[in-house]
Amino acid sequence: MKQHLGRQVGVQNVEVSLRDGKVDITPKEDGRIDPAQLLKATYDSGVSVAEMDMTVRGKIVKDETGTLSLQSSPNQSFALADNDLSRSLTTLAGSTTQVTVRGQLYKKAAGKKKASALYPLKFVVLQVEKQE
Amino acid sequence: MNIRKLAMVLLFVSPLMPHSQAEIKHIEMRVEGMT
Repeated sequence: MKQHLGRQVGVQNVEVSLRDGKVDITPKEDGRIDPAQLLKATYDSGVSVAEMDMTVRGKIVKDETGTLSLQSSPNQSFALADNDLSRSLTTLAGSTTQVTVRGQLYKKAAGKKKASALYPLKFVVLQVEKQE
Repeated sequence: MNIRKLAMVLLFVSPLMPHSQAEIKHIEMRVEGMT
């Protein structure tokens, strides 16, 4: 699995802890990494993903339907799940403020062996680390 | 300053500049069924 993940686009380093089932992925400097592709690659290597957390830096944007997203690059954004923390970021929508947030992009539904649908992924903000 | 020269400098230097845009800093997964 380590080799398989290490071959994915944008991956610089993969650390696997067999003891606690933890996989740490360090993206390359350009940050052009696709979390959905990593989820798929992990399943393809024969293990199932229980959770995927990530730390992302980006701008808060709001689309025409009012959905908040964290735009991490011009062509990559993550729709934010509605919670108190994501609502606290509403005022930053459309501004140039860069926020660094830690959150959960994926959590396997209880009792399911495999993810039934990987899309759409919603990013649950767990902590706002920085605003700049 | 010659505008054309400036444009050429920017064209060649921009790919070398650090990506100041936002990015994914770190990803952590918890997996099951790993041996």
